[in-house]
Amino acid sequence: MNLVDTARQARLYSMYRTFFDKAEQERRWNPLRDVPYDKINKDAPEQLVMVAETFCCVESYLPDYVAKGINVVRPYFGQAWFSANWAYEESKHSVALLEYLLQSGRRTPEYMFDLQSRLMTVEWKLPFDTSRQMTIYGCFQEMATFVIYVKQEQRAKELGDECLATIFRLNARDEIAHCRFYEDVVKVLLEEDRLGTLRDIGLVAKHFQMPGVGIVPDYEERVKVMREEGKVDRAVFLQKVFFPVLKYLEVTRQELQDAVWSEKEERRISAAE
Amino acid sequence: MASSRAELLTIFQKTATEVVEREFTNISEKTVISELGIDSLGMLEIVGSMERQLKIQLPDEALAGIQTVEDLLSLVEKRQAP
Repeated sequence: MNLVDTARQARLYSMYRTFFDKAEQERRWNPLRDVPYDKINKDAPEQLVMVAETFCCVESYLPDYVAKGINVVRPYFGQAWFSANWAYEESKHSVALLEYLLQSGRRTPEYMFDLQSRLMTVEWKLPFDTSRQMTIYGCFQEMATFVIYVKQEQRAKELGDECLATIFRLNARDEIAHCRFYEDVVKVLLEEDRLGTLRDIGLVAKHFQMPGVGIVPDYEERVKVMREEGKVDRAVFLQKVFFPVLKYLEVTRQELQDAVWSEKEERRISAAE
Repeated sequence: MASSRAELLTIFQKTATEVVEREFTNISEKTVISELGIDSLGMLEIVGSMERQLKIQLPDEALAGIQTVEDLLSLVEKRQAP
């Protein structure tokens, strides 16, 4: 391992240490004890329950996210340990959602465990190849999930479901913490190789999809319900996800586009030679 | 020199075809961009390409409001105005 790698390792560990300390001090919660299941609105519309089920489905691919995601960052202690911690936090999200679905009486155990088994017949695949690309993907995906949870929390409140609103709020708080960690790592990567990282941001943005696409049954229908319930559309994605991530990374859209264009131009020239 | 509205529509159509790698033949100003199967990030790529071709820059905060081709072309036209 060279000195640059050692320096990066030290920075990543420092980031993980900060993230972990804050999580232990401020964000630890128990999905079985800290959620008011006695405040479920058992008459909530089916759309709201469907939103919870969809989140639960997406979170159910945790075994794949962990197994595949952690290997990409295995050489980097801080990031690998973050992944382990991330998995623990995500596991609580699915437990809370599953408990809501069961304790509300809106889904039976048979239905949920059958659904779980059906979900596991398909594997989630890494959307990108490198640790840098996956870290950038993490920024957008976690921020998008955070925004959707916040929107759905508002909706659950409007519909008088204090339990589900609490779950969405706790999950959202974890997601934004994950997003910040990924963003801080990307800032380091930008310092090390700005052009290469910008090009990877462009690549990830071009091919970005949420993790449930193509694997969760009836995903399009589910997303439609989620969009209608949470009022999430194109404008929300750009305003609340894409531009805020770029702003945090101190990258402008123009700089990003220039990096992508220069890469295309290099490819064109090299193909012509 | 500023491009006419018809020219802008042609530029949009050509750029969308290149970005999405699918032939678009029947685009009008009333077309809703998402109905072409172009998501928000795809639209940003189209915007970036049009900015480069027309040597203009659109403000980020205006992009989120774009729904139709007309919305985008009006923004471009405004930016081209002397």
